[in-house]
Amino acid sequence: MVATPSPLAARKKVQIEEIAGGVRDRFGPNVLLSPGQGGVTLSISLLEPTTLPPISKMLFWEMGCSFGGIIAEEIQGNWRLSYLFLSSGCGWTEVLVEAPSTTSAFPSISAEVHAADWHEREIEDLFGLRFEGHPRLGDFVLHDQTWPEGVAPHRKLQRKTMDPHRDRLRHRPNPEWRPLLVVQDPGAFAMPVGPVYEGGLGQSVHFLLETVGEDVVRSVPRLFYNFRAVEKIAEGQPVSRALLLAERFAATSSFAHSLAFCFAVERMSGTQVPVRAQNLRILLCELERLRHHAGAITGICESTALSVAASQAAIIEERLLRASCQFSGHRYLFGLNTPGGLRRDFSAESCGELLRAIDRAAAELHTLEDGLYLTSSFLDRLEDVGIVDPEKARDLNFVGPVGRASGQAGDLRRDCPYTGYETYQFRVPQALEGDGYARLRVLFQEAYQSAQLIHQVAKRLEPETISVHCEPPAHGLAFGWAEAPIGGALHWLRLDGSGLVERYRIITASFNNWLGFRVAVEDFAFQDFPIILASFGLSATECDR
Amino acid sequence: MSFWFWRGLQKGVHSTSYPRNPELAAGVTPGRPVATQFSSAQDAALAAQVCPVGAITTQGNSARVNLELCIHCQRCHFGNVPLMNWRSDYEWTTIPATKHKYEPLPQAYKRSLHIIVVDAGDCGACLHEVKQLNNPFYNMHRLGLFFTATPRTADVLLVVGPVTENMRVPLLKSYEAMPSPKRVLAVGACAVSGGIFGQSFVSAGGVSSILPVDLDIPGDPPPPLAILHGLLAVTGRKEPIDHEATAERGA
Amino acid sequence: MNAWIGGSLVLFFALCACGLVLCAITRGRYPMRALVGLGTICSALIMIAAAIALVGGHTFNASLWRLDGFGSLSIRLDMLSAIFLFAAGLIYLPASVFVKNLIESRYEGKYPLSRYGVMHFALMASIVLILTAGDAPLFLISWECMSILCYLLVNYERRRNGDGRAAYIMLAMSEAGFLAVVVAFAIAARMAPDWSFASLATATAHLSNRAIWGIFILGLFGFGVKAGLVPVNFWLPRCYTATPAVFIPVLAGVTLNLGFYGILRLNADIAPPHRVGPGLLALFVGSVTALVGILYATTESDMKTMLAHSSIENAGIIVAGIGASLVFHVSGYGLAAAIALTAALYHMINHSVYKTLLFQGAGEIEAATGTRDMDSLGGLARLLPALSVVFLVGCLSIAAIPPFNGFVSEWLTLQSLLRSASLVSPAVKILFAVCGAALALTAALAVTCFVKVYAMSFLGIRRGEWKLRAPKRIKRPHFALVYLASACFLLGIFPTYVIPLLNRAVGPLAGASATASLVPSFFTATPQNQQLPAAFLQDFHNIGAQVGGSVLPGRGMVVLVRGGEQNPVIFAMSTFYGFLALALFVIVTWLIVTRLTRRRQMVRNELWAGGIPRLLPEMSYTATGFSNPVRVVFQAIFRPDIVEDTRKTVAVHFRTAILRRREEEHLVDRLFFHPVGNAISWFARLLARMHHGKLNAYVAYTLVFLLVLILLFRLT
Repeated sequence: MVATPSPLAARKKVQIEEIAGGVRDRFGPNVLLSPGQGGVTLSISLLEPTTLPPISKMLFWEMGCSFGGIIAEEIQGNWRLSYLFLSSGCGWTEVLVEAPSTTSAFPSISAEVHAADWHEREIEDLFGLRFEGHPRLGDFVLHDQTWPEGVAPHRKLQRKTMDPHRDRLRHRPNPEWRPLLVVQDPGAFAMPVGPVYEGGLGQSVHFLLETVGEDVVRSVPRLFYNFRAVEKIAEGQPVSRALLLAERFAATSSFAHSLAFCFAVERMSGTQVPVRAQNLRILLCELERLRHHAGAITGICESTALSVAASQAAIIEERLLRASCQFSGHRYLFGLNTPGGLRRDFSAESCGELLRAIDRAAAELHTLEDGLYLTSSFLDRLEDVGIVDPEKARDLNFVGPVGRASGQAGDLRRDCPYTGYETYQFRVPQALEGDGYARLRVLFQEAYQSAQLIHQVAKRLEPETISVHCEPPAHGLAFGWAEAPIGGALHWLRLDGSGLVERYRIITASFNNWLGFRVAVEDFAFQDFPIILASFGLSATECDR
Repeated sequence: MSFWFWRGLQKGVHSTSYPRNPELAAGVTPGRPVATQFSSAQDAALAAQVCPVGAITTQGNSARVNLELCIHCQRCHFGNVPLMNWRSDYEWTTIPATKHKYEPLPQAYKRSLHIIVVDAGDCGACLHEVKQLNNPFYNMHRLGLFFTATPRTADVLLVVGPVTENMRVPLLKSYEAMPSPKRVLAVGACAVSGGIFGQSFVSAGGVSSILPVDLDIPGDPPPPLAILHGLLAVTGRKEPIDHEATAERGA
Repeated sequence: MNAWIGGSLVLFFALCACGLVLCAITRGRYPMRALVGLGTICSALIMIAAAIALVGGHTFNASLWRLDGFGSLSIRLDMLSAIFLFAAGLIYLPASVFVKNLIESRYEGKYPLSRYGVMHFALMASIVLILTAGDAPLFLISWECMSILCYLLVNYERRRNGDGRAAYIMLAMSEAGFLAVVVAFAIAARMAPDWSFASLATATAHLSNRAIWGIFILGLFGFGVKAGLVPVNFWLPRCYTATPAVFIPVLAGVTLNLGFYGILRLNADIAPPHRVGPGLLALFVGSVTALVGILYATTESDMKTMLAHSSIENAGIIVAGIGASLVFHVSGYGLAAAIALTAALYHMINHSVYKTLLFQGAGEIEAATGTRDMDSLGGLARLLPALSVVFLVGCLSIAAIPPFNGFVSEWLTLQSLLRSASLVSPAVKILFAVCGAALALTAALAVTCFVKVYAMSFLGIRRGEWKLRAPKRIKRPHFALVYLASACFLLGIFPTYVIPLLNRAVGPLAGASATASLVPSFFTATPQNQQLPAAFLQDFHNIGAQVGGSVLPGRGMVVLVRGGEQNPVIFAMSTFYGFLALALFVIVTWLIVTRLTRRRQMVRNELWAGGIPRLLPEMSYTATGFSNPVRVVFQAIFRPDIVEDTRKTVAVHFRTAILRRREEEHLVDRLFFHPVGNAISWFARLLARMHHGKLNAYVAYTLVFLLVLILLFRLT
């Protein structure tokens, strides 16, 4: 089901050289181009922060890059903001802005690159750094009803007065807090959903669906109820402990996140991971993807109240969880990745058993899919509901299966291959309608691709060492990426001079996609809201970290 | 739509017969480390050092596990260090250290228990395992366990996650909105002891600092059968385990 | 008998005159006291007069004086007049008492009522004259007085309420209707010796079919202006909204009925149709009116406008009943005609009672909170508990929920439409079926509408920024409201006493006895005296139809229509027994529940809202939101214009305000009022071309006209 991307949604395959040339031509005197380090291909240092908006606009819109994220750091008393862009010809471009720490404001790029909206809000809340021109700063990570103004917990200064591992700030809820309502209509009201909803089985997110009775006119999700400050807790910790954090902050994609973290460390220390470990990493990644997609399909069937199909999908998922546990010792694949390879090896018999379980799961998914496509009452709830059209998907930088169902063909496994993906044959399914049905189809197709990838890997497994010793350097800067089931994730790591983590930044697909979620919900009836939520399959805890 | 009916019948029954019989299928639990006797005190010390949360304590040659701290990182399960013994069981529910005795809910709730779940900063795995209780393998409805949508009709509050600052007030409101008699269950290492996130400016380090917890279900995440055991313990159909005692009896 | 009636009427007019004079010459609190005191006594007097007439069964006649050219003006209180007079008195009593309550709650007694009092008594007198007029001139003169007085009273708070446009439209439409009625009477009187109703009735028996049609259409739409029929009712919502709260109970409860009285008097009594056509027209117009009325009522969030649309709906139901009765009468089914007409008259009384109750309740709410907008009300049940109970009774009655009065009359109306199965012509049956379906839909929408009204105003949390005024005074239940609520209840559970009284008027008009067809004598019948078949009687005695026979007078408590051999019971209901069963249920359940929960402890806690810090008023359902599905489903009728949907953006991606305003043009305005108004304006503009101010041209006009006249006289 590979559809040709429409001209609107397609991004030109632009090479890094073109980007460098274009930037030099237009911004020549204000920028300094250099090859990047730690995974970055091209580093553009800006001499003047005011160049940020035009250069971001050029990279995102004209050069067709997708927006990776903003990494804010306080290094030796200076601010260092790194804006990551991924060009479609694979290459990470970094736009670097440095300023003394007395600076309190930077120009905002959100008016040009809408995908940067939440990145800037997060930095403002956690670092206290204002972005001029952004109309909606505040009340994002640190909810206004719980936190007083002016707390910037990620600043280095805070370490002394607020040791993250010992101190806790206790605040009384602000009794006067009111949410910001946008719709002004005499009969309009806002339906609150959450943070405890669906009996608590939904992850904690708060929605205020502003409506005049039938259609949702506006809804912006309120996240960060699960904010555990993983990035701050990791500071000052050894890499082995930070690896545990990477595994556990979003445990349903734990393997992919720990993989991205290990890449960062391996890149920093220049370790070459043995081929057997690379292949097994692919196998485990795809196993996780298959299991995750079975869970997402269960969620969609449950949201439309098609109980039998939901139960059947749940059977597939539970079997995959048990197969994962039998294979690796943990249902969610904890404790497998380590910088330099894997921590344990797998016998041929266990690989064989896993393959049988995978085949069974794929066959059952096929049957389920056929059955679902025959159920018109089910398809009616998904077709033409929750539409994200390709322009908006591009504008808001949707990633993962959700983005691929709206014509965004990006997939880190194919665009920036890692752990040996480039040696395997697989398709990246796509659709153009951007409705719930398209997302469902993409989920099924990706699940089948994962199953056949696992088969390919199993054939190629050669007996070999499973890991090499990887000693992280005393200091370094690198980032790693992986295509988690929900979409691409970036783990960015800087070590201080003694091998401890100085700055750990995680950018996840859920963070990107939650920003654009409201586009799918608005102008649809609020009875469709739970179904749209399920068809997105987003994780609040992955976004909140 | 009738064809789904036939499909469902064709699939057959997958429900486990737990609690009547133990569940022996492979992959239902990751297992847990248990107290181990090593050949030397040095080996025991090496085994204990590997644990990132300090769940393993040594006394001479023997090493003991405080399951409430274990985050299932598996570093004592495989690797180059002296390894702890692992047991593939799933009945892990314990009474928290702060409580002396656990009083199960009255007789009327034995086969009809309503549960409300609150996600207070969970990583996603514990909540996912809780959701699996509804799947055909564990089928909680056959035991009279139900999830409810509102705390007003709930008997048990099941908390996952270390209780982030932003979720503290919603969690307290959920607890206060429940009518008595009620019980609080902390599910997962994060809820029991803070897990890897511990205590910080945003994390309370476990539910016990916010609410009176009646039973702990350790594990990261505890498999669905462990959660089922915990829910049965709430009603008194099963007993909470005293890990110290079972540790004494030997691994 | 006649002496009592005559004496009451004389006393009534005398007291009206006294009241008028007192209000004119006194100042301060005296006008209000005169209004309340004398108004109460006057209304009691007219109720007494009407009751005596109904119970006794005699027509009261009295001659007033002679007018040259018109004959003598006379008073005639026949059964039809008596029913309407009783209804008028029934409403005027609480309306007069309520004035005191309203003035005290809203204005703390300081409100100049002298002018109002004068007009009030004058209006009361003119209404009684309309209802008891025995001939056309007195009827028409009093009608005109009533129209003008209504206009003046509606404009009473003009300076406070804005321009007098609404009242002006009402006056214009009243005059247009009046003209139509005058022409109708003229047609009827063509072959009559004088103008009295009795001679008109005998004369119209010889009129041609076309003349009857003409009278019918002119009468239906002429009186339909006052009654509120589509398409001549576009003045009603505007006018009711602009009317001050002191006057609206009378406007909605009494003057609306005058329209029905006119229709019945002219089109059923004086000039009854000979074919089914006119009756079908009335049925169709009534059904359309009912549907349009309730649709706009359901989607309206201003309480007074909503009640105005609901009045239109009820007017439609009544006229539909009248139409059905005319059709049955012409087709020879006297029993069905009797049932239909009983339903219409019953509904007229019921509607007056509960509509007055609701309007007075709305007036209280506005006095207490300062707003009528249901979108911003809410939570009043805690603040005004007494008002919430009586308002609930009103809402239940108008939504036709047993055991209240609305249920009885709606049920009878729908049942009478079902009787069309016995008619012969298939086209007529189809029309009856369609209209019946429309009325059933209306009933369902009425439930939606009044659930919305009660829930959004009284339940939930307060949504707007208003404060309760004069809390101590308002918490007491008001006599007027309790009186009306009790009337709703009593009229609901004792239909078998009301129907025989209504039968006095229904019998002659429909040609069959409503009592005989609707109220079987379960109390007095025995197998010996053969009033009812023995087997039938036994069956019903087995289910308890004779319970209460020793205590209560009358024929029985069951409303039932008997069919033939195969179908002994066509329909049956008893609100009385239903109420007894319901009360028993409630009491037993209450006893069981209190027994079972004796040991339980109730703890009050704040509302569960998903864990958010506070449930804000803007998070609760609004009245507009509740009725939005109805608006969406019937979009073709409403055709709303989203006037402004600007989504203010700072940048394209960020939206800080989304302004939406919806503007709708009422269906009748769109299809009738504005086109007709535009046509008239166009014609007037055309004529205005003649008035350009040049004197020479005007002289020329005179010359031309003179020449034309001479030519005409020469030619004819």
